[in-house]
Amino acid sequence: MCRRVLSKCSLNTSRLGAVPTALGSLSRCPTPLWVQTLSLTPSLTLPCPSSMPSPRVLSLSPESRAQRLPLRSPREGAAGRHDASPQPALLGAEQTQGPQPPLQHLHLHLHLPPPALPMPGAGQRHPRPPSWRRSAQARLRLCPPIVGTEAFPGPCCAEPGAAVMAAALRRLLRAGGRRGAALVAAAAACGPGPQTLRLIYTTTAAWKKNVAASGPEKYTEAFIKKQIEEFNLGKRHLANMMGEDPETFTQEDIDRAIAYLFPSGLFDKRARPMMKHPTEIFPEQRKIQWGEDGRPFHFLFYTGKQSYYSLMHDTYEKLLNVQKHQDQLAAQDLPPQKEKKNLVGSRWLTKTELEEMLLEKLSDDDYSRFIQLLQKLVMMPCGNIEENYIKKFSREISAQLQKVVIEPLKYDEQGVAFSTGEGRRKTSRATVAVYDNGTGKITVNGIDVLHYFPVLQDREQLLFPFQFLDRVGKHDMVCTVSGGGRSSQAGAIRLASAKALRSFVTEKEVEFMRQAGLLTVDPRVKERKKPGQEGARRKFTWKKR
Amino acid sequence: MQRAIWSLTVCILPSQANHTEHHEGRHYSIPLEEVKAVFPHGLPYRFQQQVKTFNEACLMVRKPALELFTYLRNSNFAHPAVRYVIYGERGTGKTMTLCHVVHYCAKQGWLVLHIPDAHLWVKNCKELMQSSYKKERLDQPLQASTWLKNFKTSNEHFLKEIKTQQKYVWGKRESTEQGRPLGEVVEQGLARVRSASDAVGVVLKEIKQQCHLGSFRVLVAVDGVNALWGRTTLKKEDKSPVSPEELTLVYNLRKMMMNNWNGGAIVTTLSQTGSLFKPSSAYLPHELLGKEGFDALDPFVPVLVPNYSQREFESCYHYYLHRKWLQHEQARTEAGKEELRFLSGSNPQQLERLAGPL
Repeated sequence: MCRRVLSKCSLNTSRLGAVPTALGSLSRCPTPLWVQTLSLTPSLTLPCPSSMPSPRVLSLSPESRAQRLPLRSPREGAAGRHDASPQPALLGAEQTQGPQPPLQHLHLHLHLPPPALPMPGAGQRHPRPPSWRRSAQARLRLCPPIVGTEAFPGPCCAEPGAAVMAAALRRLLRAGGRRGAALVAAAAACGPGPQTLRLIYTTTAAWKKNVAASGPEKYTEAFIKKQIEEFNLGKRHLANMMGEDPETFTQEDIDRAIAYLFPSGLFDKRARPMMKHPTEIFPEQRKIQWGEDGRPFHFLFYTGKQSYYSLMHDTYEKLLNVQKHQDQLAAQDLPPQKEKKNLVGSRWLTKTELEEMLLEKLSDDDYSRFIQLLQKLVMMPCGNIEENYIKKFSREISAQLQKVVIEPLKYDEQGVAFSTGEGRRKTSRATVAVYDNGTGKITVNGIDVLHYFPVLQDREQLLFPFQFLDRVGKHDMVCTVSGGGRSSQAGAIRLASAKALRSFVTEKEVEFMRQAGLLTVDPRVKERKKPGQEGARRKFTWKKR
Repeated sequence: MQRAIWSLTVCILPSQANHTEHHEGRHYSIPLEEVKAVFPHGLPYRFQQQVKTFNEACLMVRKPALELFTYLRNSNFAHPAVRYVIYGERGTGKTMTLCHVVHYCAKQGWLVLHIPDAHLWVKNCKELMQSSYKKERLDQPLQASTWLKNFKTSNEHFLKEIKTQQKYVWGKRESTEQGRPLGEVVEQGLARVRSASDAVGVVLKEIKQQCHLGSFRVLVAVDGVNALWGRTTLKKEDKSPVSPEELTLVYNLRKMMMNNWNGGAIVTTLSQTGSLFKPSSAYLPHELLGKEGFDALDPFVPVLVPNYSQREFESCYHYYLHRKWLQHEQARTEAGKEELRFLSGSNPQQLERLAGPL
């Protein structure tokens, strides 16, 4: 399902007509301005790079802006996804206006995975398998409005994949150097808005040139800044939408709101729609390392790994410092300080974390050398002097095991001890009360267990926790269970009774139960049926012709 | 026959002993010849297999049976026959209780009219004939003849004693004179299968007429009595359903079930297992008998057969152990016993099925 994209060119003339795609029906009412301009597109408000920038350097200079060419969207799935760069004509107009027009084109930094299914209008019911070969032209024509407006209120993605629009961004930037037609413009307003400009996308194959691939995508500072502004604005709008106070809208609130507005059943959390601060999404990039004259700033630039070597240099300096301090203390005949930093609850940075910190690739060898150096620094008697420095490279390990609180026994009117437990399995939910001084009588939903579970297998499941603890005939049990089938109900009751029995039993036995798997929720649920297949795994019958 | 006493709970009692309360929970064995004589057709199928496997028939003495014995012992046979209805959940031992009572009465010298399963008469009948006696009724020659055969084996000596009190004409050339022994009627029914159902009717009528004289006591033991008042799955030739009254056998048996005769007792069992069109959770008399049956049997003495009590369960378990039926080594432990108790829910049938593969 493609999303219609707001037209960048709607900035000037058709701002009112910008499609509030996510808000669907909202847009049909007399739309306030801020709603109208809300879009769900990732804000690819890229400054169009100049013609053929060098692979490493992004043109940031204002002059290049004048020569800004319209961007071309990547071939796959871009139809309707990206924010259009302005048309050439309007571009000029925009430029003459100077800096950004006052009423910004507001975007929610909503990063949805690339929609795989360009759904042809609402009329069609069954999804088509993704076909990347389809011309973007056709794709765009078939674009219905996005999420929330139509029959498919879920997220438009049909395949989990790269969640981040940075991927699209990447492609965009790669394509940025080439000429291309203008990107897709936004779809028509679904409300009573005035007309929007619609650019028909043409295939990029015609304009493909033999250009060497530029390296990893680079984001300019201005771009990141812009993204951050837009994120904040979008956050405020989201808070407004949800009826909360924009001032105190935290990231958790954002996550909750997005999960509410775009419910997704995908298992992989990273595949679901997310809205995060740009710094979390766009990886940090290194600035240009040399000046205009071509001379590098850092003195270790020509080592190739300047940050790593400078780090080693600094750390060794600290080491020497400590040694000097030690010598001084020894000279003064003072005992060296013995307070050792407790390393138990902390760990060093991992290689990836260090790479992120240095914005540079490291080899394993480099990494191990650095850690060895750090450890040497810490081991030294006066290492505490440099504690601040060391803290930068260590992380706390949060408590591994969360203590599960075992509830104490409760007593009912007759003075009989009992305890309750809850369990679930697949779609069944069970609550159980296990009473002491019993005869092994079990009642499920008011019915005797022999009648409720005529199958032996289910009764064996119920027997398991008691047999494991050698308490077969000693407890009575009253259960309520709902949902699921007979086997899953039996499993749910088993889990619930095991949890309830924890209160009657020593900690060691609780540990035994846990190792036996009696206290673990069975995570197996029914697997989703995939399109193009008959079931979750079963494919359609293969016919040779 | 004396058997060794193994333990307090497992005790194979001699069958001739009078069973009283303190024998409760114990097994007693019946010699195999007696089994063949008394129960040609009465025992449940699985029990018959067990008899064959163990080479002995051991019944457990349980409270409902003892209750019935006291009733029977103290009943006044001048009064109309009392009806006892044994009911209970599935697999609790109703049929076995009935068999116990039958054996007890047979030992005491009663005439036993044992209908093993009335449900067999209302379903799966291959041959339905129109009755020659009454036009509306339907005959079931096969079922009637099997029953007559079994009746003959179980009550041989009575057949010689009881004499017919009127003449019965079976067909153009066959008739039974007055004063002939009942055995002739039975022979006639067996020989002429067409008139077997009528022969059954004659037998029942004669017995009913003569039992109040006091020379012998009659025990009418019917298993699955709710079949007599339920529905049938039989259809006439024009595909219209048959109601039970239209069957000769059922009609005559119903007459027997009425309490307008004295000198005996009627002990019946309700059974859901073979019943037609009844939910599997139904076990109470009014559920299984329906309004018609309930009114017909009312007043009756209900006897509930529960699952095994602690003691009975132990007894049964030890019996299986003693017979080396439980081969699994864990089954011999205490934990195994508890497990069996839990899984079977102290239900005799479940326990028997569980113990099978062990």
